[in-house]
Amino acid sequence: MPGKEPKEASIDLKGVNIFYGSNHAVKDVSMRIKHRKVTAFIGPSGCGKSTLLRALNRMNDEIDGCKMTGSIFMNGVDILGRKVDPVSLRTKVGMVFQKPNPFPKSIYDNVAYGPRIHGIRKKSALDCIVEKSLRDAALWEEVGDRLGESAIGLSGGQQQRLCIARALAVDPEMILMDEPCSALDPIATSKIEDLIFELKKSYTVVIVTHNMQQAARVSDDTGFMYLGELIEFGPTKQIFQRPKQKLTENYITGRFG
Amino acid sequence: MEPSTDKGGNPYRKRFRPGEDLISWFLLGMASLAIVVSLAIIYTLVDGSFGFFTNAKVDIVDFFIGKNWSPHGATPSFGMGPLIQGTLMIAGGALLLGGPLGIMAALYLSEFAHNRIRAVAKPFLEILAGIPSIVYGFFALLVISQVFRDHFDADYFNAASAIVVMAVMILPIIVSVSDDSMKAVPREMREASLAMGATKWETATKVVMPAASSGIMASVLLGLARAIGETMVVVLAAGSIAKFSWSIFHEHMTMTAYISQVATGDIPPGIGVQAAFAVGLVLFAITFFINWLASKVVISIKKGGAGSQRKKRRGLLNRAIHLLPNLTNDIMDNVRSDKMSRNMTLRNLKERVGKVVLGSSLLVALAFLVFLLYSILEQGLSGLTPHFFTNFPSSDPAKAGIWPVIQGSVYLVLLTMLFAMPVGVGAAIYLNEFAKENWFNVFLRRIIQNLAGVPSIVFGLVGLTVFVRYFSFGLSLLSGALTLAIMALPIVIVTSEEALRSVPQTFREAARGLGATKWQTVWHHVLPNAIPGVLTGSILSLSRALGETAPILFIASFFSKVAPNSIMDGFLALPITIFYWTKHPKQEFQDLAATTIIVLLLILLTMNAVAIFIRQRSQSKRKW
Repeated sequence: MPGKEPKEASIDLKGVNIFYGSNHAVKDVSMRIKHRKVTAFIGPSGCGKSTLLRALNRMNDEIDGCKMTGSIFMNGVDILGRKVDPVSLRTKVGMVFQKPNPFPKSIYDNVAYGPRIHGIRKKSALDCIVEKSLRDAALWEEVGDRLGESAIGLSGGQQQRLCIARALAVDPEMILMDEPCSALDPIATSKIEDLIFELKKSYTVVIVTHNMQQAARVSDDTGFMYLGELIEFGPTKQIFQRPKQKLTENYITGRFG
Repeated sequence: MEPSTDKGGNPYRKRFRPGEDLISWFLLGMASLAIVVSLAIIYTLVDGSFGFFTNAKVDIVDFFIGKNWSPHGATPSFGMGPLIQGTLMIAGGALLLGGPLGIMAALYLSEFAHNRIRAVAKPFLEILAGIPSIVYGFFALLVISQVFRDHFDADYFNAASAIVVMAVMILPIIVSVSDDSMKAVPREMREASLAMGATKWETATKVVMPAASSGIMASVLLGLARAIGETMVVVLAAGSIAKFSWSIFHEHMTMTAYISQVATGDIPPGIGVQAAFAVGLVLFAITFFINWLASKVVISIKKGGAGSQRKKRRGLLNRAIHLLPNLTNDIMDNVRSDKMSRNMTLRNLKERVGKVVLGSSLLVALAFLVFLLYSILEQGLSGLTPHFFTNFPSSDPAKAGIWPVIQGSVYLVLLTMLFAMPVGVGAAIYLNEFAKENWFNVFLRRIIQNLAGVPSIVFGLVGLTVFVRYFSFGLSLLSGALTLAIMALPIVIVTSEEALRSVPQTFREAARGLGATKWQTVWHHVLPNAIPGVLTGSILSLSRALGETAPILFIASFFSKVAPNSIMDGFLALPITIFYWTKHPKQEFQDLAATTIIVLLLILLTMNAVAIFIRQRSQSKRKW
């Protein structure tokens, strides 16, 4: 694992285990997610990639009977530790979900929701954040003149970019994306992929995808997971061109089964 | 590799959020009121019975096995035998009649009925379930009983009329629980049977019914508990003579009927009143046991696997595989006999006849409802004059009206909702949004489930003991509303929880993912989207409270002829008035009871229409 970035800026997973009741969903995963790069998790469904992703902002805490061991160091703090507040953590680690899930409110209120709950009340400040977030999510051109309209009226791709804007509005350091394009058509998908490319200039991005071409297109590093284990992790180019593990090769070349 | 921990502190440190903790404790407190209510029930019954059992005139053994129940006079005797016999005879009779009818209707709805018929049958059953028991009581005494008197030489009060009416009352619960369990039988099982050449009829009776047998069993048990706990029908129609008799055409007294006699003041204060608490305790124990049995049966179905849907289905499939040999033998017999084609016609005929028989069970219930509504309209419609609404109750039937009664009912129900809604919604929020899967919350859920099964007359005893006497609220509107509120609580909790659950999980995830706290998520996203559902559920439970008679029988005073001016005043309510007028010896007052029923049903109809309107509107406006 070569890493030239400052240590604190990257995210270190050490011996992470995740259990759902008696189901051992993620087994002893250690890896380093690099600062302001795109890291992709790939693998067949049920391999634990989404579960691992949800450990990074402690969304697994919301599931009854979910237990995590090991450590994840972020800015020098073990975010799985007892002293960490998941609510505070999530303001630093934004998340975009598989299906676009805008609130049934106006476009403006969707984006302004995060800043508002974190105490920003001034209209001018909110306006500024909303515009910047929508611009960063490449949506401003399309919706800038109708912010008062319901977010539910947007197309699926626009909704997903709105959800990205909503995540950006709380000024996170990292964005987690859980199969963000699986519900979208190819045109909307390519827009999101372009956006991911822009996002990594300012954010660390972790994306889960079942689409290997997508992982190959957007990510800098790729981890291949199978039955809860991280089989192989490294630069995307190497993973896709010269995988070291037989399992990885089989999966990538479609000879899996 | 080791990141330095001394640099820059912890940006994700625990924040102090006193509000968040306070709210979750507050909501937990509301949910825990269910435990307080349960304790109040147990305290009431045990404390009340204690005075009874320690009384020198009472022999505990005789209480349980004695055959003479005569609480009056200088040497009272308290052998509960006749009460138990009356209760079991009427409830058992209702079950014998309503059980098969309900199972047939469920089988028809689940396996044979068109979607269009289902769409009509469901609301129809909801209507049957929504009619207040006092209305069924009126119908049993003044219409059905008349039929038995004319044709079977029955007593004026007789068990038979109570049995017939109660059979219909327990129909909705039997049909809905059985129907649910039959629909839960996996499609693969039906297909396996059909693919072997079984007819739909054979599939329904030999595969689906056995596979759903535990659910059907549970539905019958729930119906039985409902019948045992029912008060108004038996007290009006079956009478108040506690005597051993096996004839259903004679007068019988049930346990609930005895308690209600105390409520109406027919038993003088003293040991006879204390006896009501002892009877209440036994009644509570019996219904609790039956409901517990029903929940055990249901749990055993669900335990096909450790909760997971796939495992559950596999469990059912395994059972199906065991069932299939029976069917195979049947069919192979048919095949082996050379008269295959003749058999086929016979089997098709069986199916056609069977379908008609099953479907007719619904028609029987429909005919009953039509007859009930027709009788009430016929008897009461002529009394529906403007001055009936504006006049005050009077001993002259020509002048009697129900203006203060309507006011009393409206105040009562509004006050009930004022108490029950915040607590119920708060408890639902706690259970659905905050509660983790631990023993305490499992226990809490079970408590709430049990509360819903407590007979309504028992709540009357609790209201009397706790609110009227212990808190000295007296026979007031306040006591009445609090009594109804603790009774409505489980329904409000369950319906509110349903509304909360219908809000998509993705909203919660999105908000939580942005760093919203639990309460922020609930307050900003879950609650606003659940409000139409909460309102609908609350209005429906409100309408239930409006029709309740038994729990406020102890508290409402028939002698308060004016509307209450404050919450500490006495009050009259519509169902109570119907009760006394139905029992009135004069025909004119019985007619007025019918007129009052029409008013009550109209109010209920309006409330339900409003609830349905809110539901429809929110569904059409719903964007998710």
